[in-house]
Amino acid sequence: MKNKRFAMVLDTRRCIDCKACTVACKAENDVPLGPENYRNWVGEEKLRGKYPNLGQSNTPCQCQHCGNPPCAHVCPTKATEVNSDGIVHVVADKCIGCKYCMTACPYNARYYNEETEAVDKCTFCTQRIYAGRLPACVETCPTKVRVFGDLNDPNSEVSKLLTKYPSRVLKESQGTKPYLIYII
Amino acid sequence: MTLLKHRPSFKLWVGVLAIGVVIGIAGALNVLLNGHSAVYNVTREIPWGILIATYVFLVVSSTGLCLVSSLGHVFGIEKFDFIGKRAIILAILTLLCGFGAIGMELTHPIRMGLYTILSPNFSSPIWWMGTLYGLYLVLLCAELFFLMKGMHKGAFAMGMIGFIAAITAHSNLGAVFGLLEARPYWHGSFLPIYFIVSALVSGGAIVSMIVYFNHKTTGEPMPQKYEDFMGTLGKLQALFLLILVFFVVWKIIPGLYGHPPEKYEATVAVLSGPLAFNFWFFEVMLGLAIPVILLLNKKTRTPYGVMMAGLSSTVGIFFMRYDLVIAGQLVSMREGTADLVGGLLQYSPSVTEIAIVIGAISTCLLLYTIAERLLPLESDH
Ligand code: SF4
Ligand code: SF4
Ligand code: SF4
Repeated sequence: MKNKRFAMVLDTRRCIDCKACTVACKAENDVPLGPENYRNWVGEEKLRGKYPNLGQSNTPCQCQHCGNPPCAHVCPTKATEVNSDGIVHVVADKCIGCKYCMTACPYNARYYNEETEAVDKCTFCTQRIYAGRLPACVETCPTKVRVFGDLNDPNSEVSKLLTKYPSRVLKESQGTKPYLIYII
Repeated sequence: MTLLKHRPSFKLWVGVLAIGVVIGIAGALNVLLNGHSAVYNVTREIPWGILIATYVFLVVSSTGLCLVSSLGHVFGIEKFDFIGKRAIILAILTLLCGFGAIGMELTHPIRMGLYTILSPNFSSPIWWMGTLYGLYLVLLCAELFFLMKGMHKGAFAMGMIGFIAAITAHSNLGAVFGLLEARPYWHGSFLPIYFIVSALVSGGAIVSMIVYFNHKTTGEPMPQKYEDFMGTLGKLQALFLLILVFFVVWKIIPGLYGHPPEKYEATVAVLSGPLAFNFWFFEVMLGLAIPVILLLNKKTRTPYGVMMAGLSSTVGIFFMRYDLVIAGQLVSMREGTADLVGGLLQYSPSVTEIAIVIGAISTCLLLYTIAERLLPLESDH
């Protein structure tokens, strides 16, 4: 069977900053309590315009599952791995807590999990997707900002969205080749 | 000025260091009992704090001592010969205490030992760092062994390989920071080269203190040989410092010119932001200006003056390491981060972090003091 190339396509216009994704992710993935512990977040962009004509966008974000992941390049013990379907994840037992990956990631997608005693980050909810379900943040999002799927399949919803609309990625100049793709 | 003119009394010196060691142990226990996140001030956004800076400071000192001592038994500058044993012992101890400091920052030093061997990642500068410093440690020990046995050929060979290992390991340490594209303040080939230069300054400074205090034991006058040595070391040290000034200036200019994104903010944080006091007072004044003035002026280039310059630049260099490590992380990696002050993230070391720093440095000095008492370190040339 051909490998998958998992990706997430996001339409930020629909994001209402409700943070349901963060809550769902924390609950699904046993993310410990505490303000520094989260796998995903909603970035609030700068205000546009002058009162009373104002605008603002939100950028929901998490690990970009980079095609060229600096976190994996720098990890001394290969605790950070990329699986055959493009998912970047941490093997907790091998993590020595050097936090090099945290200084190398240009998106601040990682945090140190005191409970697993390893660095932790978004896994695209592997435990769900390989069981045929959607990632928790995708399933919960009330306005359907997030679409998850396989870019190697031309008929997947993510592939179709990227054919239909122009898209962008964050910090493209870093050369990380992110697979969190924004259609606006 | 008579401050530190004589070596402090042995009891006082050992007493102060012992207190330092106890403080360090208390800090370490606090970490073991309460966990890193409860007692350290490092965060998700600034994951490397003062312990990493201390590690860098200590291993730079180690490399510097190795490089300066190799001037004698590798490059054949005879005047430098007699510092060999002392410099190598202290190089071993600073390296070990540096490992101690980073060991307290890592959460799993034991896993590290296991998986760096079982699952090595050759593209990781930290993997190379562990391997190369490990090798360097073995070479230093072998070199010390040959020096103690008076086997000059062996010492020369080990010194030569040790010298190469020191340069390799240490420039790689620069690369640990320099290869991070995400951190524009660090990224590039500057740091590996800069680390070598600053190691020379560190090494020279520490050697000046070792030689001075070793021969001020009872207040008797310093032998002529050592006086001459201090004069030569002083001149050499002035040269090293001036080269370092050049590096500092050329670190700043590209950081400001044309406001390169993220690099500019970090550079401004150092020059006039949260790290400005550290930079101007410790790095520039204590680290560079005062020592250069003391060393270039013939009147103050006495053994005492050279030692004072060394002490002053060593303090300054500690802050150079700290500022370098912190400045590289002050700029947030993403838009819309809360808790920014003046557009920057914040970090200041916690009491426990400082306690461990004090412990690491005190342990190193205490062990050296003991080694000096117990081992025959006078050279027999
Ligand atoms: S976003 Fe960060 S953690 Fe995720 S793959 Fe890229 S570099 Fe690694
Ligand atoms: S903290 Fe863990 S996952 Fe990150 S680089 Fe170090 S060993 Fe690898
Ligand atoms: S995909 Fe899963 S792990 Fe990743 S942010 Fe969404 S809920 Fe969290």
